[in-house]
This record gives sequence, C-alpha cells and structure tokens, in this order.
Amino acid sequence: MSDKKTIFVVIPCYNEAGIIRETIAAIIEKDYSIIVVDDHSTDNTREQLKEIPLIYIRHRLNLGQGAALQTGISVALKRGAEYLVTFDADGQHDVNDIDGMLQKLKEDQLEIVLGSRFLPGSGGNISVGRKLLLKAACYLNYLFTGILLTDAHNGLRVMNRHAAKSIHLKENRMAHATEILKEIKKHDLKFGEFPVHIHYTGYSKKKGQSLLNSIRIFFDLVLNKIFD
Amino acid sequence: MTLIQVGLAAGVILIGVYMYVRLRNTLFDVFLIGLFIITGTLLVLFPEYSNKIAHWAGVGRGADLLFYLSILFLFFLILKLYSRLRRMEQNFTEIVRNKSIEDAEKLEEKN
Repeated sequence: MSDKKTIFVVIPCYNEAGIIRETIAAIIEKDYSIIVVDDHSTDNTREQLKEIPLIYIRHRLNLGQGAALQTGISVALKRGAEYLVTFDADGQHDVNDIDGMLQKLKEDQLEIVLGSRFLPGSGGNISVGRKLLLKAACYLNYLFTGILLTDAHNGLRVMNRHAAKSIHLKENRMAHATEILKEIKKHDLKFGEFPVHIHYTGYSKKKGQSLLNSIRIFFDLVLNKIFD
Repeated sequence: MTLIQVGLAAGVILIGVYMYVRLRNTLFDVFLIGLFIITGTLLVLFPEYSNKIAHWAGVGRGADLLFYLSILFLFFLILKLYSRLRRMEQNFTEIVRNKSIEDAEKLEEKN
C-alpha cells in the first residue's frame, strides 16, 4: 500500500447526490483512500458513486452525521488507516488544505488538527450572521469541553491512528462536533488548528446548519452533559 | 365515603395489584408497592391527614403538597426514561453500523 493510500478520507453524506461526484473527484486526484458513509440517502447517491474506486458503506437506517462519521472511522481503522481525514460531502472544503493539515500534524507532533475558518490565512465567503453564530458556538463549546477554538463545527479534521482509535462518538446527530472536543480532552490528545478555505455555494448553504438546528444541537449537548 | 373516594381508593389498589402481578418484583419493590397502596388508600379515605402533613411541611393544603411532589416525581421519571432511550439508541446504532459494514464487505467479496 502506498503511503497516500493509508490516508483515509471519511465522507459522511445524506442526500448529496447532486454534488458528491464533484466533491470526490477532487479527492481522487490526490490518491487518498476514500470512505463514503451514506446515511440511508433517499436520492440516487449510490448510483452517482458507481464505478468510482472507493469504499461505500450504506447505513440500513438513517442515524445522523455523528453516527455516519463513527462508522467511517471504524471502517478506516479496520482497513489499516494511518491517518484519517473527515470531510463534508457538500463540497465546501478545499482538498488542498489536507496536505497542509497533515504536514502540521507531523511537524508539530500533534494527534489531531482541526480546520478553522477564522485563523489568519483562511479564506472563504462566510456571511456575518453565520460568523456570529459560529463564534457563539465556539464559546459554548468552551463551556462544555474546556477547549477554546477559533472555529466550531468545521467538518474538516485530520487525525492520526491513535486519535481515531481514542475517539468514540456516541452523539448520532450534529452534537458530535462538540463530542470530538470532549474526546480530545478526555484522552488528552495533542491538538492544533489550521486555517482552511471554505467555498459556500448556494447548495451547501441550503444544506447547512440553520439557527433552529443550533438550538437542537444545544439541547443534545445539555443531555449529553447530564447523561454521560 | 363519597363516590370520588371509592373511585380513587379502588384505582390505587388496582394499580398496586397490577404492578405486583405484572412486574418481576424484588423484595424492595414489593415493599414500595405495599407502601404505595397503604398510604394512597389512607390519604384518600382520610384526606385531613394529608392536610396535617402539608402543614407540618409548610404547605397550605394537602392537595398542593401532593401536586408538588408529583411534579418532582414526574420529572425524575422523564429523566430516567430519557437515559434509557439514549442507551437504546446507542445500542441500535451499534447494530445498524455493524450490519451496514457487513453489507459492504459482502458486496465487495461478490465483485
């Protein structure tokens, strides 16, 4: 197995048939291994991915993004992943950021690198409203986990095998982003942030998190705090 | 005895008997069920006792005291149920995950 093939890109997706091919085409060029976890999409995602060399897992039921990520992590570990990348299916991330994140991971001897849309050097077209919401989420995450980052709910992360093994997500839905921080704290993983580029399209905005959803995430977090 | 007293007392006793018959009980549960039947029936038949207890606890009426206690109890029940729900969700997630991974592996072998 070549070096690049031990880098696994995990892409959880739910009804992303319109964009998934495009997202994956860019990653294939980089020669990474790809795992798509289809969270029981009701569109033709499966047909879109036929003939493309990747590992395709389809959840028998719709479980949520957190659950899909965990499935991808489990499979990647089983297949001998040395490094694991989490990547959103909607095409908002820039594949070229992965190299920089991997480099930072190795050079700074970190175990997990989290993408940030707010560090100097990052780029993208984030609206003011979304920026405010994300900043609020940063402080909320700090409240829940004790880790203060410059960004919250960024789907682009790079971790080594040890980190992937340590992290076990129990939050099936969107609260998993905070749960990852909780796991970082719990297992004392060495983490860092890296400026990434975001391309919000009309498509990804429509599919992205709404304010209403944030409230739901908040309640999931409170319940997580009570019960775990 | 008024009609409401007959109805309530019968209800308390029936629920108690039902719990005793249907649930696999430990000795502690039987004790709790017994306590529930006895205090429940007594309070229905002699409501003035509940007033006395309420006064002693600093609440105006027995009915109010019961109301406060039942809110606490219901809230406790909701939390209990919710934690069980979460555990169930985690269990079935694990099952669906393993099954889905198996599906993918089988498909790969076929190709």
